[in-house]
Amino acid sequence: MDFTESDEHALLRESVRKVAATFGHEYYARCTNDDVRPDDLWQAAADHGFLGVHLPEEYGGGGAGIYELAIVCEELAAAGTPLLLILVSAAISAEVIAKFGSPTQKSHWLPGLTTGTKMVFAITEPDAGSNSHRISTTAKRDGDVYRLNGSKTYISGVDESPQVLVVCRTGVDEETQRAKLSLFVVDTDTPGLHRTNIPMEIRAPEKQFQLFFDNVEISADRLIGDEGEGLRQVFEGLNPERIMSAMICNGVGRYALGLASQYANDRAVWGTPIGRHQGIAHPLATAKIELELARLMTQKAAWLHDNSTDRVAAGEAANMAKFASADAGLRCLDQAIQTHGGNGLASEYGLADLWGIVRLLKIAPVSREMVLNFISTASLGLPKSY
Amino acid sequence: MHVVVCVKQIPDPAVPGALNADHTLKREGKPILDESDSYGVEMALQLVDAAGGGEVTLISMAANEETAGLRTALAMGAAKAVLVSDPACAGSDALGTAKALAKAVERAGSVDLVLTATESSDGYTGTVPAQMAELLGWPALTFAKKVDIADGTVTIQRQTEAGYDTVQASLPALVSVTAGVVEPRYPSFKGIMAAKNKPVDICTAADLGLDGQLGWAGARQTITNVENAPARQAGEKFEDDGTGFEKVVSFLENLKVI
Ligand SMILES: Cc1cc2nc3c(=O)[nH]c(=O)nc-3n(C[C@H](O)[C@H](O)[C@H](O)COP(=O)(O)OP(=O)(O)OC[C@H]3O[C@@H](n4cnc5c(N)ncnc54)[C@H](O)[C@@H]3O)c2cc1C
Ligand SMILES: Cc1cc2nc3c(=O)[nH]c(=O)nc-3n(C[C@H](O)[C@H](O)[C@H](O)COP(=O)(O)OP(=O)(O)OC[C@H]3O[C@@H](n4cnc5c(N)ncnc54)[C@H](O)[C@@H]3O)c2cc1C
Repeated sequence: MDFTESDEHALLRESVRKVAATFGHEYYARCTNDDVRPDDLWQAAADHGFLGVHLPEEYGGGGAGIYELAIVCEELAAAGTPLLLILVSAAISAEVIAKFGSPTQKSHWLPGLTTGTKMVFAITEPDAGSNSHRISTTAKRDGDVYRLNGSKTYISGVDESPQVLVVCRTGVDEETQRAKLSLFVVDTDTPGLHRTNIPMEIRAPEKQFQLFFDNVEISADRLIGDEGEGLRQVFEGLNPERIMSAMICNGVGRYALGLASQYANDRAVWGTPIGRHQGIAHPLATAKIELELARLMTQKAAWLHDNSTDRVAAGEAANMAKFASADAGLRCLDQAIQTHGGNGLASEYGLADLWGIVRLLKIAPVSREMVLNFISTASLGLPKSY
Repeated sequence: MHVVVCVKQIPDPAVPGALNADHTLKREGKPILDESDSYGVEMALQLVDAAGGGEVTLISMAANEETAGLRTALAMGAAKAVLVSDPACAGSDALGTAKALAKAVERAGSVDLVLTATESSDGYTGTVPAQMAELLGWPALTFAKKVDIADGTVTIQRQTEAGYDTVQASLPALVSVTAGVVEPRYPSFKGIMAAKNKPVDICTAADLGLDGQLGWAGARQTITNVENAPARQAGEKFEDDGTGFEKVVSFLENLKVI
């Protein structure tokens, strides 16, 4: 057992931190306010090989794993510049293609994903919600093509991605009557694919969309992996997504506590720094403890994903990390805002605008209730409620 | 083209520093690459690129065979390093350091150019570059804010108070560069992974033929006392009665900044 990160990990952290620091939270907030995409930051991260650290070297990746991608995600967020699309593009779409794509598909899609092209991910549907078995967007094989019909909702970043990885129903399991799912790479400008922007109250530069598939025709070679195996395959990407969402929360938590400690040392209203009042110090210390516990679980989850053959243990850890980190990140942010008094809600202090993205991560990519359902049944052996 | 860059590995400035009883700096934690030297590394990489090929070698003297700072520079793209590390180096003065580094340059093979920073961030005597050049018998071109190489000649813009002088010398030569000469790159992930396997040639004073000349044994300089820097004086306060701007202007004029 060794909890010290290697020299290479330390250097990776430092390098991501420095690249992100050349942008900083002001850049991030400006992108949100001016309605522009944080393309420069995304591209800088890609140019340094950070967005493909986990992808195979033969396709231009770094040849490392999800642990390293988690470092990238955390340090970007800790600089006040969380990149939400890493969750879908690098952690799910790229990971799923790397694991299940054919050699041709891998050499077609992965090099672009390491150099900054995005591929977002669509599973959520208006009616199915958290119940992926109810997915009703269908893909029907017709000779050399599949035809897609249905709709998806809350799909992030469709406006900035040439492709989206879509989870569709391709049949029904005779025994369980559950949907058989399959994964397809769909060009976002394919005729018949329409999107509408969903106005959100999250202050982040990424946008959310509802997608409508109206007889969208795609060539059969866009099927990733085996037909009907989509759910099992997508799980390989869902754990990394959970780990990345955890690291966004942990990173924002570090960012918030950093600002809060600084402020609590500097600000004096009774002739002594406010950080000396235990009413300020102890909640920050509590948040710090929760944050470090959450980070530790997230690191464990990433390590298990990369190294363990026990996939149940890897799934449990990723879910627990996701749950704990969202709570810890939100607590850090909330206490940092409290520590700043009125300034905590002022744009200038760069805290309150991050609330939406961290709050989101209690709901997406998997809600905390669904995590609790999973832990109840998978870890504790309790009966299923649904 | 073969460019050598001197890179000092210094205690992390973010960690409060401490002195030993003999007034020397405690060098215990993991050292970092002196930021001043990251400019030299970047400059060297760009010069080799512009020359259409070649290699960048790093040279450092540090305690305890420390390579943490070297790894950063190797990750930026340098090919290899020579590290002088020997308990016998403890107590070296700037001249001792220059001797060790000059010998290390010779050990690095046939070299066209040596780059250093103008001064280190922890010792900042600013004397090592000129001493090294003297020991190597090469021209020293200092305070470079721009460096060009063509046809065996190095041309620099030497920063002066008024502007810059253009200075030229034939290679091999030593050039000290100022911060801002180029924008140092941050290591890419591939660079970081490649650095892991790049060779670091660790050598002792004896390996360099400097037995007895480094460290306390060779130092001509002793530190007799250390005092805290004087506390910064409180600034001047102006009450703005509507003519505040005049006071600010005359203050800045006195400083000759406007
Ligand atoms: C900003 C944003 C970005 C998103 N990006 C993407 C994306 O890029 N791609 C994508 O596919 N999806 C995306 N989503 C969708 C997201 O994953 C879902 O919102 C999330 O999984 C919850 O599903 P739902 O909204 O349908 O909630 P519902 O399933 O309707 O749930 C509503 C509430 O009921 C609870 N609940 C549901 N079932 C149970 C149960 N069995 N037991 C207890 N409680 C239960 C839930 O926890 C929740 O609190 C995004 C969402 C948002 C808001
Ligand atoms: C292991 C070790 C033990 C030491 N012990 C003592 C001691 O006991 N007492 C004491 O007074 N000082 C000690 N020193 C410090 C040393 O004497 C000088 O401070 C220093 O090496 C040279 O002076 P400077 O930092 O002022 O260099 P400057 O002249 O300011 O440096 C200019 C440039 O020269 C290069 N350079 C300088 N030093 C090095 C280096 N070590 N490696 C690579 N490049 C370099 C860099 O490019 C630097 O920016 C020690 C240093 C080391 C590495």
